[in-house]
Amino acid sequence: MSCSPFDLKDYYFEELGGPERNEMEAHVAQCRACREELQRLRLTGTTLLSLREEEIPRRIAFVSDPVFEPSPWRRWWSGFWNTPARLGFGSAALVSAALVVFALVRPAPVIQYAQAPAPAVQTASAPTALPPADMQARIDQAADRAVAARTKQLVDDLAAERQKLLLVAAELDFASRREQVRTVADLGYGPPRPAGEAK
Amino acid sequence: MIFRAVEDGDLIRQASRGNVEAFNLLVSRWEKRVYNYLLRLTANREDALDLTQDVFLKAYQNLRKLDDAARFAPWLYRIAHNEAYSMFRKRRPESDVADLPPAATDEGITVGGSPVFPVELSLAVASALERLSPEQREAVTLKIYQGFKFEEMAEILSCPVSTVKSRLYTALELLKTELAPIEARGVS
Repeated sequence: MSCSPFDLKDYYFEELGGPERNEMEAHVAQCRACREELQRLRLTGTTLLSLREEEIPRRIAFVSDPVFEPSPWRRWWSGFWNTPARLGFGSAALVSAALVVFALVRPAPVIQYAQAPAPAVQTASAPTALPPADMQARIDQAADRAVAARTKQLVDDLAAERQKLLLVAAELDFASRREQVRTVADLGYGPPRPAGEAK
Repeated sequence: MIFRAVEDGDLIRQASRGNVEAFNLLVSRWEKRVYNYLLRLTANREDALDLTQDVFLKAYQNLRKLDDAARFAPWLYRIAHNEAYSMFRKRRPESDVADLPPAATDEGITVGGSPVFPVELSLAVASALERLSPEQREAVTLKIYQGFKFEEMAEILSCPVSTVKSRLYTALELLKTELAPIEARGVS
């Protein structure tokens, strides 16, 4: 256990601040045990320093070859893109520019609805004007024709539906009769069975 | 004409603009220290030299990412630390790097020809360092031999300052015990 106010090794390695160092100096001057411990540390340090540094066997030098030397522009460019933040910002700017260019070069597609072919009347000569009476007569005629055609269509549809219903009714009647015959047969009515046949 | 010492910061700024000669000057200032740091970690001169070259190549490639030139030393040693441990993992992928024993060397790490300290003292120190765990040895290397502050060591090793201090102080206690007989014979 050390009686010093601070770590003696910190003091030996000169890692203490000014006030602490002064305090330690005063303590070491008075404390024999700490003085001896400090002396042992210094002796160990001196012993360790007996192992001198060696000279490097071969000097290291780099050669600048103009062939491999990057141009100032390349150095600036590589230095500019050296940081990830710049790289990310540049990538985002590039994507944004690409989107803008794409939007300008290729505008949004216009949805074109299918249009009915223009009537031949429009492409042909302009229609001749009719008197209102004739126009009304023609409209009435056209309406009558349309109503007659529609009525005929309905009558035909009704007849077809009636035919279908009749067929269905006949099917039902046939099925009902067949069911009745089967019921009578199950009750044992019918022609006599041959003799000896088991019931 | 005014002469002034060219600071590392000036060289770093010029090198980051593509001035290879400025970077070579920077390398000449730091290569010995980085080599010795890696030599302590690997205990192998060839590995240390190869790793030193890789460290400076990687440093040149990433120099623009260094925001504060004043933090060059911890940044460079961080690269060296990563390169060394990457090599350890490649060689022993099946085991944890922290559990790796120090590389056994027959000759130890010799002193660079200084007559002041005997060879046996250097061998004893090298042997004592090799008995430490890799983390403890690295902490001792960064503090004793490279002179980094605790905050810088924490940055290099990517761990809290408390962890750095714990590793270093535990290593110092072990080294005191290991080196006590040598010290008793007289090292001044």
